Amino acid sequence: MPILDFLLAKQGRKQKVILLGSGALSIGQAGEFDYSGSQAVKALEEENLKVIIINPNIASVQTNKGKNRKIYLYPITPFWVTKVIQTEKPAAIISSFGGQTSLNCVIQLDKSGVLRKYNVKVLGTQIKSLDISENRELFSQHMKCINAPIANSYAVSNMTEALKKAKNIGYPVIVRSAFALGGLGSGFAQNSTELKKIVQSALMNSPQVLIEKSLHGWKEIEYEVMRDKTGNTITICNMENFDPMGIHTGDSIVIAPCQTINNIENNMLRDMALQIAQSLNIVGECNVQYALNPIDYKFFVIEINARLSRSSALASKATGYPIAYIAAKIVIGFELLELKNPVTKTTSAFYEPSLDYVTLKIPRWDLNKFTGVSKNLGTQMKSVGEVMAIGKNFCEVIQKALRMVNENESGITTNIFFAANDAQIDKELLSPTNLRIFAIYETFRRGRSIDYVHNKTKIDKWFLSHILYIATTEKKLKNFFIASTRNLKTKITMHDVYQSYCNISKDYLIHLKSIGFSDFQLTKLLISTCLNIKYSFSIKTIRKLSLGIRKLRIKLGIFPVVKQIDTTSAEYPTKSNYLYLTYDGIHNDISNKNNKGNGVITLGSGSYRIGSSLEFDWCSVMTSKYFKNKKNDSIIINCNPETVSTDYSISDRLYFEELSFERVLDIIDIEQPKGIVACMGGQNPNNLISPLNKVKVHILGHSNKTVENAEDRTKFSAILDKLNINQPEWTSATSYDEVTKFIEKVGFPVLIRPSFVLSGTLMNVAHDQKSLDHYLSLTKNISVDYPIVISKFIIDAKEIECDGVAKNGEVIISLVSEHIENAGVHSGDATMVFPPQKIYTRTVNIIKDTVRKIVKGFNLNGPFNIQFIAKNNDIKVIECNARASRSFPFISKVSNINLAEIACKVMNNEHINKIILDESEIQHVGVKASMFSFQRLDGADPIVGVEMASTGEVGCLGKNFNHAMLLAMEATKIIKPTKGILLSTGRDKDKIKFMEVMDNIYKLNIPIYATKGSAKYLESKGYKINIVHWNRKPRAVDIILNGQVDFVINISKNLSVNELYNNASIRKTAVKCGCSVLTNLEKVIAYFNAYSSYNELYSINRCLSL
Amino acid sequence: MVKHSYRLTRNVKKAYLQLSNGIKFSGIAIGANKQVTGEMVFNTGMLGYSEAMTDPSYLGQILVFSFCMIGNYGIPIPKNGNLFMSKGHESSSIKTQGIVVSNLYDEAYHHDRGVSLESWMKSQDVPGIAGVDTRYLVQLVRKSKNLFGKIFTDDSVIQTHNKFYFLNKFNSNEYVDPSKYNLMPSISTKSKIIMGNKYAKRKVAVVDCGIKWNILRMLIDRNCKVELLPWDNNFAHIDCDGWLISNGPGDPKNTGDLVKRIRNNILNVNKTKPILGICLGHQLLALATGADTKRLAHGHRSHNQPVFSLPEKKAYMSSQNHRYSVERHSIQPDWNLWFENANDHSVEGLIHKTKPFISVQFHPEASSGPNDTSWIIDYFVKLL
Repeated sequence: MPILDFLLAKQGRKQKVILLGSGALSIGQAGEFDYSGSQAVKALEEENLKVIIINPNIASVQTNKGKNRKIYLYPITPFWVTKVIQTEKPAAIISSFGGQTSLNCVIQLDKSGVLRKYNVKVLGTQIKSLDISENRELFSQHMKCINAPIANSYAVSNMTEALKKAKNIGYPVIVRSAFALGGLGSGFAQNSTELKKIVQSALMNSPQVLIEKSLHGWKEIEYEVMRDKTGNTITICNMENFDPMGIHTGDSIVIAPCQTINNIENNMLRDMALQIAQSLNIVGECNVQYALNPIDYKFFVIEINARLSRSSALASKATGYPIAYIAAKIVIGFELLELKNPVTKTTSAFYEPSLDYVTLKIPRWDLNKFTGVSKNLGTQMKSVGEVMAIGKNFCEVIQKALRMVNENESGITTNIFFAANDAQIDKELLSPTNLRIFAIYETFRRGRSIDYVHNKTKIDKWFLSHILYIATTEKKLKNFFIASTRNLKTKITMHDVYQSYCNISKDYLIHLKSIGFSDFQLTKLLISTCLNIKYSFSIKTIRKLSLGIRKLRIKLGIFPVVKQIDTTSAEYPTKSNYLYLTYDGIHNDISNKNNKGNGVITLGSGSYRIGSSLEFDWCSVMTSKYFKNKKNDSIIINCNPETVSTDYSISDRLYFEELSFERVLDIIDIEQPKGIVACMGGQNPNNLISPLNKVKVHILGHSNKTVENAEDRTKFSAILDKLNINQPEWTSATSYDEVTKFIEKVGFPVLIRPSFVLSGTLMNVAHDQKSLDHYLSLTKNISVDYPIVISKFIIDAKEIECDGVAKNGEVIISLVSEHIENAGVHSGDATMVFPPQKIYTRTVNIIKDTVRKIVKGFNLNGPFNIQFIAKNNDIKVIECNARASRSFPFISKVSNINLAEIACKVMNNEHINKIILDESEIQHVGVKASMFSFQRLDGADPIVGVEMASTGEVGCLGKNFNHAMLLAMEATKIIKPTKGILLSTGRDKDKIKFMEVMDNIYKLNIPIYATKGSAKYLESKGYKINIVHWNRKPRAVDIILNGQVDFVINISKNLSVNELYNNASIRKTAVKCGCSVLTNLEKVIAYFNAYSSYNELYSINRCLSL
Repeated sequence: MVKHSYRLTRNVKKAYLQLSNGIKFSGIAIGANKQVTGEMVFNTGMLGYSEAMTDPSYLGQILVFSFCMIGNYGIPIPKNGNLFMSKGHESSSIKTQGIVVSNLYDEAYHHDRGVSLESWMKSQDVPGIAGVDTRYLVQLVRKSKNLFGKIFTDDSVIQTHNKFYFLNKFNSNEYVDPSKYNLMPSISTKSKIIMGNKYAKRKVAVVDCGIKWNILRMLIDRNCKVELLPWDNNFAHIDCDGWLISNGPGDPKNTGDLVKRIRNNILNVNKTKPILGICLGHQLLALATGADTKRLAHGHRSHNQPVFSLPEKKAYMSSQNHRYSVERHSIQPDWNLWFENANDHSVEGLIHKTKPFISVQFHPEASSGPNDTSWIIDYFVKLL
């Protein structure tokens, strides 16, 4: 038997294995761990094991119920894992599938003796090796032992030492902190001043930091290694960063396989990777990162991760080798040679994939969502998601990837630096932000050389030469059109586009498509040469015009071909269902002859971003699996390598492709599906419904009209008026005058938002004229083309949501949940409770009735989410999403009614009865809380508002609200203070409300600090308070910096620009120093009220499982 | 059939690849403007094109690179011109008839590049075609038993092949199956060559069947003196500590009386001197022991061939380039199966039960490909 003895079933009873997840998504630890975790669960369940999953990330696929698994939605801390161990008595625990969080937890459990006490074995790589990979000093020692070159580096634990060592090594130096994920607290210092700043903040998060030689400009290369217990070792893939050393890999553009190294370098680094894995006795997966000098064969080992990682998820998707799945089999005892690759079904798992294509990953940053954040990239990761493009040449993949990562479809040709002067562009090249690639492109557009860009960026000239080629091609084409389109009138039609491209040769058009130009880009390029046209075109118009090129292509027979990802480069025939499209080829690997004619395409969510994350992948996975089970040809389109939906087993055919209008049409042409599901992947695919509908694609679920009515603010409000449903007063303003007039009528505060809102981009609440002016200056010019919507903002109102499914205008199910925070906090950032605890039955009844009216009035036919505000029993509708919402997985899991599945039944047109849930049958309360990553975003103000800022979420269950609330807070790193607490409690009426929890805070028996106003108020109520000040001693920031407090409550009086600015330094410092920070009064009250149940919760013997 | 591809050059000249099964590809001419024919073979390695193209085992073949971008790091040419000492070259010149690639990159910025791939091909008078859907071509090659191809341009002329002896009587319009000919005279050294440190304690006699330079480099690095012998040497009375029978092109049975000389003058007279056979050398040695060889349905030509060592119960990644293989059932009783292929279980290595005779089908010298089995050379040197 390949399985380890102690994992074999005894007396017919399956052995239990604990698998830790990674918790809420945060920067540096995102969806990739749901992918690795869910592959692991599958691999373990297949081997007759019972999997105990501990992960509070309720939207993950791995926390779905299953026959052989048990789910604990608890914080991943030694305390809770110990509780679960006591209850479940597992045979073993697996540390390597839940990122750094899970790894750290298992290491702690081992050190504290818990694992020994309960006889729980650690599967896979053993703790001793994990220590080496995690502790910098042990790592250095070990590398020296095996003669692996490492950059000189010194561990220091104080500032004086740091300065001394840096001087010895010579600036520039890199500071890294030990025991930190995603390079937290790391940085690049040119001189001692910069060094001081970085070391100070690094030492706050970690007892030890590392000072090492800067390898700026060296190539950054990574190898993914797999090793089994007998020592058989392979490398799955190598990857190379487009951005040389200095930018965190998570923030780098990454190409796989490596493109600028030769065979000698490859095997030199590969040999070292194998040697390291061997010496550490790795069992399972690990990755090794190198810096390679671009001018000779010198290299250094930078770090190793003895666990699944972002890179391993990427490598799995890049190669078609399911690393996590195989690694899971290996940690329970299998040898590589005993396994086959389940993607190909023919090759041995002891096989290094050979690729005949390239893949390129581009990170997605949402830095615009955070006020004050520095956009510069460095050794600290800032991106929140990523996409991967697959193609046959570099131009193709970089063009594809840049279109995937931003929805504007213009890709690399987006004119971001078009208006910038040369100096601004040079600055961008020298000190890169998330936009550097566009600056490089603009530099080439302006005729600069490869050397010019290389000298400033150190990016390998091989990469640059391709970008130059795209720029040159664009220019050539433009010149050609300028000469020929001079006569075009002031208007341009689809036919003009068709005609213009008729003028270039077929070969050249194929060439343009092969190097990655989309029809959209080609159309836009043509328009830009029509010098008589002065106004700009909307995306919608360009999309429509681009059909001219599509028509021409069809006439000329220019189609993309479908290629398989098979790990063997076609050396062996395989059954892989993992596909991509390219114009750089002539032959289709698959034929649609065997299509059953009942295909259903599910559009995935694309890159994770703020506002669209794991929860939409969960919905996509549910959908694809549903149709697969129904014996439809289930087809998925998605381009996000971190997702479960892009796992080979979720669909019948996986197109790892752009979610663009053009590409989706291409796939529809190939697959001829019965219908398309676009309402389960969030806003991104939802935006495709209207253009797809216009070309007569059959969309399952809501009709196009329904979607338009819900999305278009004007239509939406008009229908609500007609249905006699209340909504906050609003107007759509096309000029400043209209804005002023509206405010005269309704008064401040007002909510302003641009017409098409995606997770609240540029949405803001203006409390006074100053903030209004400030926020309006952030949006584009207000015009007829770009109207803004202004509505009366109602303060101190409760926010309530209703998630559900409708069929043909009738409610099938509707479930109401409440927010803890009052209206004004984006629903994605708010803390949500289900079943609701604090709304009157009357309110629920009014809401359910309103939902019925809306469902009928908009003729909803599919999943929906409607948001309300309530003040007393006065209910107003603020939003209706005719699609699956962020809260679907949470509500589904807490209520045990799978909303996604019901939505699929509706889309499949199955007979389905109305479902009434008796809430008294739900034995527990669920609280969903948001995870913020402010700690990684240098300079960001950690305040929450109408613009969403959270990067992830958790959902925890408790026998009552207090339990669930405490757990959810702990899982989002709001932790009971032990050192001290700092209070600023907002407006006078907030101060009064705050008294509700003051006793509970006082009972903590820790020093309480407060800013002047709050302190005076509290003292007047008889509490003993230490007063702190803004700018005289004792200063508020100092007590934070000195570590006298570990919890900061900071409630703004209002959200005006001044008030925000005043408190920002306290909040920022608190976040930087790792304090728990709460900035919302209702959340504070709910949290500290829950302390009444603290002891009860933490002394329970049995945790609740799902 | 056309797949349009891009190159970062201005002058694009059309080229064609005519296959013996009737399919014709169009593409872009690269390298020399010349018409050639050859047996179609592919390699799925993602790197190592210069090593592959100079590998004598590709004699008479047109090599298809399945990876989509070739030429990225140029061709290493050391300043002193000593190609032998420079990794990246496995013989003194390109041995493939021509190459087929998807996208050719003909600039190169790698620190170790001497020239670009294309100018190197031009200087060596070797043609190629770019812009071919090589994945499709690999599928065609894989599916057919024997596929030949012809690379030509609109103005290339039919001429006699003159580069290698066995092709002399053919012109560049005729498909020649290299396995039908004894390729040894075309590829083996003409005279004895002594290499390595003359004070080295150990001396290896090497039968040159088209040896890859990295085998020699590795022996010399391990402090061995090497005597490189022409294939038609009679091998008797050679003063040495051990024998190495090298890799090379073609059918092991089509090597004149080479097998007989190996049997009589190396194998049978020898009781203690270690022997190592590599690739073709392994097949020749097996034939000399009385075992048989066969032609595989499709060859192994990649850097990711998993081989399993039976005595160690351990697997290794190996680099391979062969179409023939030793018949498993024909292994002689005094020999053990040492390695087998983890995918198709074909014979990958033999070891003598009592004597220090070993042979492997894969390439322990790698170049290009993984170095995981370089210990076999160490093992051999230790036996000396």
